[in-house]
Amino acid sequence: MNLIECRNLTREYHKADTVIRPLDGVDLDVERGEFLALMGPSGSGKTTLLNLIAGIDAPTAGTIVVDGVDITRLSRNRLAAWRSVHVGYVFQLYNLIPVLTAFENVELPLLLQKLSRRERRARTGNALEAVGIADRADHFPRQLSGGQEQRVAIARAIVTDPTIIVADEPTGDLDRPAADDIMNLLTRLNEESHRTILLVTHDPQTAGHADRVIRLDKGRFVSDRRPESVAEAPA
Amino acid sequence: MNVTRYVPLVVKQVCRHRVRTGLTVSGIAIAMFLFTTIQAMQRGVREATMETAADTTLVVYRKDRFCPLTSRLPRDYASRIGRIEGVVSVMPVKVVLSNCRTSLDVVIFRGVPKDDFLRDRHGAIEIVAGSLDDWRRRSDAALIGETLAKRRGLRPGMMFDAAGITTYVAGILRSDNPQDQNVAYAELEFVQLAARSGLGVVTQFNLRVADPSFLEPVAEQIDDMFRTAQEPTATFTEKAFVGRLAGDALELVSFARWLGLGCLVAMMALIANAIVLSVQGRIAEHAVLQTVGYTSRLIAALITAEAMLMALVGGGLGATAAVVVARVGSFALSVEGQSIPITAGVETLAGGMLMCAVLGVAAGLVPAVQASRRPIAECFRAV
Repeated sequence: MNLIECRNLTREYHKADTVIRPLDGVDLDVERGEFLALMGPSGSGKTTLLNLIAGIDAPTAGTIVVDGVDITRLSRNRLAAWRSVHVGYVFQLYNLIPVLTAFENVELPLLLQKLSRRERRARTGNALEAVGIADRADHFPRQLSGGQEQRVAIARAIVTDPTIIVADEPTGDLDRPAADDIMNLLTRLNEESHRTILLVTHDPQTAGHADRVIRLDKGRFVSDRRPESVAEAPA
Repeated sequence: MNVTRYVPLVVKQVCRHRVRTGLTVSGIAIAMFLFTTIQAMQRGVREATMETAADTTLVVYRKDRFCPLTSRLPRDYASRIGRIEGVVSVMPVKVVLSNCRTSLDVVIFRGVPKDDFLRDRHGAIEIVAGSLDDWRRRSDAALIGETLAKRRGLRPGMMFDAAGITTYVAGILRSDNPQDQNVAYAELEFVQLAARSGLGVVTQFNLRVADPSFLEPVAEQIDDMFRTAQEPTATFTEKAFVGRLAGDALELVSFARWLGLGCLVAMMALIANAIVLSVQGRIAEHAVLQTVGYTSRLIAALITAEAMLMALVGGGLGATAAVVVARVGSFALSVEGQSIPITAGVETLAGGMLMCAVLGVAAGLVPAVQASRRPIAECFRAV
């Protein structure tokens, strides 16, 4: 059964008299527990698609049904509530809040849920443990390396046990060893916890961790393949 | 929604942005210090000049005179005034000042018949240090108002020299009447002799009437009685009298109200500026909060709470400093022998804090709402 179903998904921006269409009528089905990578050149629409599925942007046309809910019909506030339960977002530049410690950053999404302080602390600790950064819980982002910051960001994304994890070039700002660490972590989360992961990347090696890779160009899908063949294809 | 769980988040944002918070809080504290000081002056004016329904005191002064040095009335007017219907008591007073100008440290001597004074002030004054018997016994003894004693560091047993008069400090008195707080009461004849003004001459008469309804008719009768005398009189209620003499000072204090408003505007601009800069520098941060599920309303509330917290901390520091300075300094604005105490207490502090909270919310609300309504994807594109 599909967890995500997108139909005729279109996103347009208006700049002066010009209409920019980063996503042009795409259809996409993603199964529960699938690890999907979106690839393509800059401006191909992969981040736009990711943002639409994550509910942080609204399509100009089309529908997005996640776990039976058409999120395009939700109000701004209901969409925020939906995101807090169903989406964990990992950014390229980590986007941790600099004045909060690693622990406090991870705890942020839990403040929205009806949990006691003890439950929040336990779940936050578990999330940090899961990404192997529990010993840095009291560190501020400026005291962490890029790879460590991204681990904290992943902990923040998984702490609410979301339906889907979306990651927008999560290794784009990291060196190769750190990038491999992060991808191994995401792969483990997918394999062991059966989390559905949607990943945007330019890097074929990173995309190689996914079950399925979709290539986009000019807002349309140009291929939908298994990773073995992706690693050999030009980026 | 349980909002208390977000309080630590707001506190951390304020405490951990040290430079921003430090500068903003300092500015707010300075503005609030000025505002509270002006409030204290205005409160003193209100207390000194606002009449109440229970007021029954009249002051008889020399007509067309403003300075106590030039108001000279024969003491024997007292017996004629005392015969008017409704008059309960008449007390001749000789006023001697260290200077006639407007100043924060004027010493005012009031020469009074001791028995009349104690009868007139029975229950209205409290001797907080020293001895009333000492004051009765010694001809050079003075009862010092608490504000004056604090300001000059006077204690019972000390000798006090001011305005050419040397007195023995017999006691310190406390009174709700602002005019008692900043003066030294001594025997009438002693003050007359020390001031070399003649034993039969006084500055004014303070009289009590049986009922507030007598104030106006008695005042008219007194002024009619002496209209053709060599020393005609002008009779006022006590607070109108203070207001008349302190007119110039009152104008200054009224003008200070605008300065107070200016302080509030500056404070609001300072908070708004800090919040606008903070919001602009934290576009991605607020987008992240929205991404993880924080609603626009919650984000706006968090930003507004930050503004309010800074305003309360800065305002609290400034207002407390102003209250402490006013209390420790025991300042009183004296003019023509009348005192306008600068009084600041818990009400002034509470009023200042309330003002801070309102201004904090008002200053933070617009940038907070703007920041919270920005589309998330647009925020990430902007950074």
